[in-house]
Amino acid sequence: MDTCIQKIREIAFQLLDKKEVERVIGFSNGTIPMATSPITIASKQDTEKLVFNSTCGLNLANYIRQQKGKIAVIAKGCDTRNIVTHIIENQVKRDQIYIIGVPCKGMINKSKIKALFEDEIIKFDEDGEILNVESSSKKEKLNKKDYLRHNCSLCQHRNPVIYDVLAGERVEEQIIDVPYPDVEKIAAMDADTRWGHFQDLTKNCIRCYACRNACPLCYCPTCFVDESGPQWVGKGQDKTDVNTFHFLRAFHCAGRCTDCGACVEACPMEINVRDFTRKLNKDSLDMFGWEAGLDLTKRPPLDAYSPDDPNHFIK
Amino acid sequence: MDEKNIKIVAFLCNWCSYGAADLAGVSRMQYPTDIRVIRIPCTGRLSPKFVLSAFREGADAIWVSG
Amino acid sequence: MGNLLEHMGIERDRINFSWISSAEATKFVEVVKEISNKVRALGPNKKLVKDYN
Repeated sequence: MDTCIQKIREIAFQLLDKKEVERVIGFSNGTIPMATSPITIASKQDTEKLVFNSTCGLNLANYIRQQKGKIAVIAKGCDTRNIVTHIIENQVKRDQIYIIGVPCKGMINKSKIKALFEDEIIKFDEDGEILNVESSSKKEKLNKKDYLRHNCSLCQHRNPVIYDVLAGERVEEQIIDVPYPDVEKIAAMDADTRWGHFQDLTKNCIRCYACRNACPLCYCPTCFVDESGPQWVGKGQDKTDVNTFHFLRAFHCAGRCTDCGACVEACPMEINVRDFTRKLNKDSLDMFGWEAGLDLTKRPPLDAYSPDDPNHFIK
Repeated sequence: MDEKNIKIVAFLCNWCSYGAADLAGVSRMQYPTDIRVIRIPCTGRLSPKFVLSAFREGADAIWVSG
Repeated sequence: MGNLLEHMGIERDRINFSWISSAEATKFVEVVKEISNKVRALGPNKKLVKDYN
């Protein structure tokens, strides 16, 4: 990954130096170990601040909308799929963004690593596939493969779909036989158990909307949760309201979600909100053979009518 | 369980099912009184919000018809 | 839409979609009867209902 960041910095430096782009959007080190935060860079001196490692779990496609002038963005495989979705939905123009594609070997599950330590983590670095994590009481050498996020371990699109330049060698794609084991597990339960599962899942939700804000798909000027006339969903932690919020948020992502995991990454209560969106991803794959953000020329399934629609009621 | 009082919220398209409902009415056909009809300009006007909102307010089932 | 609601544990029969032309009054009546019977069999819905008390 070290060579990759050198390349990213170099590309960003060149772009800003030649004034090809006005800003570069990337990751910088966070204020605590094992964290990174998005950063916008406008001067070439600042390119040293850019980093890229296995903790860059957020999705930078979220920040490319409504920018003036040409911008460059550092994008993993899933981020480029979201950029494709943005272009299809007319949120950005292709010639307005310069995509620095990064082939990605997956991001790590921070809460899983934190759970290994009783005290706070004070140092984190990675060396290829080995993660060195240190707290004041102990040191651990971990194998990155065992600590991947759930969506990254099932990812089949690690390489960027579209890019202007690649900042590293293409990586080998994983071949997954059963791409949706979690959805199938839930589907095997009966109706009341499923209801119980989702009640349990969302019981800790504090309605902070971090999942919505981290999601590149959620760009409505006024989100349905903020509408007051009519008020579709209450503001409190009433369980019906929490369910309505999660359900509608998931439905808005139908046929668009790339399973980038930014929602789960952002959730302070560690709720696996992907349980909702993954069901719709599986459905759009099963019914329409569609995976979001792979092709600039195709219209999304919920946006087009076709005479061989799989739903029985439409015929 | 009060079986007599179920409420089905029916979102009917003005041009299709609403017309059919109207025709059923003027033809004096008999049908269950469980449905509460909401006329929408087109089924394309239906947002998932409407469905959830109907459940929220206590609907027992939803029927969307174009 | 129906699929996700079902996935969440709402019974499938509580959400219905159909297509009826404005001339098909008989079909309309049939569908109303069919849905009404299905929902009566399920009984009242308790999930996703807001409790205002």
